[in-house]
Amino acid sequence: MILDLTDVTVSFTTGPPLRRTRLDAMRGVSLSVAEGETLGLVGESGSGKTTTSRVALGLQRPTSGTVRFDGRPFPRRRKDLAGRMQAVLQHPHWSLNPRMRIGQSVAEPLAVLGKDAGSLVPEALEQVGLEPGFADRYPHELSGGQRQRVSIARALITRPSFIVFDEAVSALDVSVQVQILNLLKDLQAEYGFAALFISHDLGAVRYVADRIAVMRGGEVVETADAVTFYSAPEHPYSRQLLESL
Amino acid sequence: MNRTTRVKGTARAKRTASVKGTAGGRRARRLDPLSLTGLGCLLLLVLVALGSLVHAGGDPDAIVGPRLQPPGPGWWLGTDNLGRSMLPRVMEGVGTTLLLSSAAVLVTAALSAGFGILAGYRGGYLNELVMRVVELLYSFPAIVLAILVAAVAGPGQLAAVASIVLVTIPLMIRLVRAAAVAVAERDYVTAAAISGAGLPRILGRHILPNVAGTIAVQGTYALSVGISVEGGLSFLGFGVQPPQASLGVLIRQGGTYMMAAPWLIIGPGVVLVLAILSINVLGDGLRDRFEPRETRALI
Repeated sequence: MILDLTDVTVSFTTGPPLRRTRLDAMRGVSLSVAEGETLGLVGESGSGKTTTSRVALGLQRPTSGTVRFDGRPFPRRRKDLAGRMQAVLQHPHWSLNPRMRIGQSVAEPLAVLGKDAGSLVPEALEQVGLEPGFADRYPHELSGGQRQRVSIARALITRPSFIVFDEAVSALDVSVQVQILNLLKDLQAEYGFAALFISHDLGAVRYVADRIAVMRGGEVVETADAVTFYSAPEHPYSRQLLESL
Repeated sequence: MNRTTRVKGTARAKRTASVKGTAGGRRARRLDPLSLTGLGCLLLLVLVALGSLVHAGGDPDAIVGPRLQPPGPGWWLGTDNLGRSMLPRVMEGVGTTLLLSSAAVLVTAALSAGFGILAGYRGGYLNELVMRVVELLYSFPAIVLAILVAAVAGPGQLAAVASIVLVTIPLMIRLVRAAAVAVAERDYVTAAAISGAGLPRILGRHILPNVAGTIAVQGTYALSVGISVEGGLSFLGFGVQPPQASLGVLIRQGGTYMMAAPWLIIGPGVVLVLAILSINVLGDGLRDRFEPRETRALI
């Protein structure tokens, strides 16, 4: 297993002192992602999907439970993980630094590792279907779909074994969504990375996921193979979700 | 500047950016004519100040004629109570005031960038500490703070610079921090952190360039505040000391003879107003150019 969440709970406290209330964003969540596999995580807004992604990325420390990446707990220093885990995030508008050229953005994960990008940037851009000339442009000159392609190129450049896609296509037009999802499948076939694909859109998840986990109110209510899930969901909430599709 | 003008400016800026679509699209936005006028005025004042270095208007310390003469040939802005020509004194005064204020604003900008960005990105105890100190400074009226500094450091140029820094830094830190908080939540910062980017890279490559507009805009406002603080402090006798001229010193000296020789305060007064106005107008223009929609809501 590349990623293993065992009985993870994350609680936030909110409100003024003495009237603090505790909110469990995740309650006893156990999830795992195998090498090369795509786990689709679905659920409504506020169900704890984003918190789960933050925990999976090591950005949020769980209140209780264990998280293992590649068989080991997260290292103290983030740098020790550099390049092995990447993410493609929600908002195409803010996924790229507006003050950096596309080429610089794509090369950044390599720069962090102290490696020279060399010819890798044009290569990475071609892999996601963009001309190498894009490297000299600024993000505001690109469309939303192009920006998400750039984000994917940036995530892939270090050949990570695990990538989190947090609502990576939700903000895009349907036709662009399909293009990006196809690209994703092609790239996964080529590089074999494992993925956690988070979305509220069951249709998009169906397209890419091998297994599906459904979250509701901070808990995982069902985990199943994609085929099984879409043909015969067990949990009533899953059925409800599928009916609305 | 009123709201509709700003909105117009933004719409126009957007159009330019999308039509041109070049690498410099962000830079293609021009300042509006009013701000350009402000910039022109400011440059003119700087030129005048530089002119005083070569005594373009005459020797500021030389006695050229009778005391308290109204403007006339040989002393185009009149003469002061010692018979010195006001023209070179105002020129020297502009230079002193601009130099002290800009030095102070540079210090303010550097400190605010450092503390504001760090507090905004890291949050936690550092944020609390910085913000409490800022609130403490904020709670003092500007001139009281300036007098306090002068009392501790002794009157003079150093006191003037330190006062301007202390008066302008609270607002600047708060705004830079607010901008940094907004930038820190953006996906590219998160993505960089996930890639393993260290603090220096995140702050220097991602956050600083994206709050630089705020710093530039606030810097111009701080400059105009700095000019008025220097004026006030020197007027009270805690800032620049005569015979060196600054706008505040000149207004203070002229005030004594206001009824008999109003030109003594009209010259430096008009220049002071001109400096502050042109900087504020320039600041408005910069603000329209740098933060068309991003940070405006925060200010």
